[in-house]
Amino acid sequence: MKSEVERLKIGSVIAASIWRLVKVNPAVWAIVALVVIFSALVPDKFLSTSNLVAILKNFAVTSMLAVGPTFVILLGSIDVSYMGIWMFGGALVWLLYPYLGLASIAIYPIFGLLVGLFNGVVHVKAKVPSFILTIAVTAVLAFLTTYVRNISGVLTLIVPAYNFLRESPIPYIPSPFLLALPVIVLALFIMFFTKLGTYFCAIGSNEEGAKLAGINVEKYKILAFTLSGLLTGLGSIAIFVHLGCQTRVDFDPSELVRGLAAIVLGGTPLAGGMGGPHRTLLGALVYVLIFNGLFLLPGVDPNHLKLYVGTLLLGAVIAASRALKGALIA
Amino acid sequence: MGTLDPILEVRDVSKTFDRVVRALDNVSIMVRRNEIVSVVGENGAGKSTLMKILVGVYQPDSGEMYQMGRKVPFPRDPLDALSRGISIVYQERGVIPHLKVYQFLFLGLEEKFTRLGRLQLGKIIGLAKSVFEELGLKCDLASSMYELPPSTQKMVEIARAILSVRLMVGMDGEAEIIPVIILDEPTAPLSIEERDELFNYLLNLKKSNSFIFVSHIIPEVMKFSDRIYVLRDGRVVAHHDLSSEKVTEDQIFREIVGRESYYDLWARYVYSAGAVEGRRVVLSVRNLTKKGYFENISFDLHEGECIGLFGPAGCGKSEIAKALYGEIAADAGEILVDSRKVKLKSEPYARVKLGIGYFSGETGKELFLFWPIRKNVSIVNFDKVTKRPLKIISVISFNAERSLAEKIMKKLRIRAPNVETECYSLSGGNKQKVSVGKWLEKSPKILVLEDPTIGIDVGAREEIYEVLLEMKKNGIAMILVSDDPKEYAILCDKIISIRGGVIQATYTNEEFRRLMGL
Repeated sequence: MKSEVERLKIGSVIAASIWRLVKVNPAVWAIVALVVIFSALVPDKFLSTSNLVAILKNFAVTSMLAVGPTFVILLGSIDVSYMGIWMFGGALVWLLYPYLGLASIAIYPIFGLLVGLFNGVVHVKAKVPSFILTIAVTAVLAFLTTYVRNISGVLTLIVPAYNFLRESPIPYIPSPFLLALPVIVLALFIMFFTKLGTYFCAIGSNEEGAKLAGINVEKYKILAFTLSGLLTGLGSIAIFVHLGCQTRVDFDPSELVRGLAAIVLGGTPLAGGMGGPHRTLLGALVYVLIFNGLFLLPGVDPNHLKLYVGTLLLGAVIAASRALKGALIA
Repeated sequence: MGTLDPILEVRDVSKTFDRVVRALDNVSIMVRRNEIVSVVGENGAGKSTLMKILVGVYQPDSGEMYQMGRKVPFPRDPLDALSRGISIVYQERGVIPHLKVYQFLFLGLEEKFTRLGRLQLGKIIGLAKSVFEELGLKCDLASSMYELPPSTQKMVEIARAILSVRLMVGMDGEAEIIPVIILDEPTAPLSIEERDELFNYLLNLKKSNSFIFVSHIIPEVMKFSDRIYVLRDGRVVAHHDLSSEKVTEDQIFREIVGRESYYDLWARYVYSAGAVEGRRVVLSVRNLTKKGYFENISFDLHEGECIGLFGPAGCGKSEIAKALYGEIAADAGEILVDSRKVKLKSEPYARVKLGIGYFSGETGKELFLFWPIRKNVSIVNFDKVTKRPLKIISVISFNAERSLAEKIMKKLRIRAPNVETECYSLSGGNKQKVSVGKWLEKSPKILVLEDPTIGIDVGAREEIYEVLLEMKKNGIAMILVSDDPKEYAILCDKIISIRGGVIQATYTNEEFRRLMGL
């Protein structure tokens, strides 16, 4: 009898927390709606095993571009150096593989950390606006990547020795997703179980107040950039494997938008102060579902897909920012 | 018209916000020609609302307005007010730093100096020169606004207000109108010398203009105004004509604060001065100086002692507090915490590490309004709510966070459904309790208090005082900066009176009470 009551109580607690999750994360509604719509329109294609595996893979890639920078966006700054870390980090792995062997993959997180630290120190100490700084860093790193390819006289910077990473030990679960999982867990842990998450939000929502509460604002800003670089470096391993153990050698601005899109669609406002990696994960799923579903629809020209997604994004961002404003005032 | 007839008058103005907050209650004031009229009062007394009605930002619920003896409607908007000769210089955000002085002076008035779409620069600069000469303002017209010292920036702003009135009124071709310029806390960003400079400038301008001077800094109000209106809780509680009556600063002080309003509360605290001799000195300040703000400040603060820095706003007391908390840096002197010398240039986080905490009653200044109570409490208490499974990682325990917040809620009787309640939904008093509560568990060695009970009701004040007194009993030393003498009488063992940035006298609690007639 008693256990019955307890079970009921636990049930209601779980229901309440799910309701809260849905209420504060509008992206959950979008995910449900997208799944329902595409399942109804193209059920055989959308719900096929191979498509669901593809969704999982793309989710891993998109979230790995976006989870790290989310911490910087919490501060109210922005970090778009993830493209540079991903591209040139891969070039470094390729360059150093002959000397370090399999261990050269560790270059990714180390390089990410260093780039993040550089961004943080320059942004905070020299007061360079973060967007300009990190996009300049990306431009330089992207150029260097192409340069490495050109002087080496190869077409791709591929390291076939890592091909074993592409095999997933679990059926239906793609290996990029498995490689992304620890990064996701780490990001969520930092957000919710260390003081860093709280401090970043504090700085983003009320910098003066954070200072008065005795937070070393400069230190934690640098830390956020460093963390962003480190997580991007770790996440880049998953993307590296996803692309067939190679890195991109040409710069594609739509990849740059992809990371920011996941963050904004998830509901972390660019002004900072609220949100976090949990929302970014939801946002990445929304992005991937839109892209994937549109691709499957008959009559949608795949060549125009980027245009459709871009336009949709624009609408979503405007709608999301309005909705958030309303939620804040209420 | 005689010179004593009012050029601008409002009668029985009332304004209610959101149907409940009565900001103004039958307020009447008037301005004569060539005078400086001051409107003084605490934050929230209704000064700003009244001024905003005069310049057409708000419409009153009821009341009448007269100009040059004729009944007129209230201004519809700031432009309408301007064309009737009323202009305002706001406290802040008025200056656009990167504009040249002449560009700023004519900002929004370019229309009158444009021919065939081309700005007549020669004409603008010529007029600017003659205006500056007339007003006795010396500065380079071609320099950028941010290059000017703060006092000169303010003067240019005032010149701009006068100029725009002249140009707007001149357009209508009406009879002579004397500009009424409203100055909203014009001295707030200025140092002591710069204030005098500004006032000399105003006294000169008085010959051709009238001013409404909004302030809560009593000495300067006494020095430069012809008449004073005291506003409290949306009513005019006193009106003094300084040419015919003798008023003391303390009298105005009491009128502003409202002596009777919570005298009872104070009386309940029969003060028992503990002997501080023999107790440990936690903070020593030696000849602390910051040019233009305070000079040669020295005192010793003992464990469990509260020292009040007392004086009119602008005397340097809050700057001293800020220098102790690391928000601003003193130029010279020494600060010793536990007999160890600390750096003068510092940051609040470094001072927190030394054991100095800070609490301000200003809403939202150090509270994260959209956070739950739990987070607002744990932000300074992470060492208490985290566990360390490894040396370098500390993991937040939600249960510890929640029970800490619950403990503080219970102790301070914070009225909220639970610890997850977001702080914006709390009442002013409860917000303040969360703000001060976070330091309760942290137990710093020294707590710097700046206006700890500003803008909250008597009951909530009492509860905040109880908390602070208990912290004091537990050995926490405090520095108090406030505008309210009773607050000093309740909390302080020693009161240091500061005028013009220097220590005038040091009183014990009893001496202070006798002096203030409390």
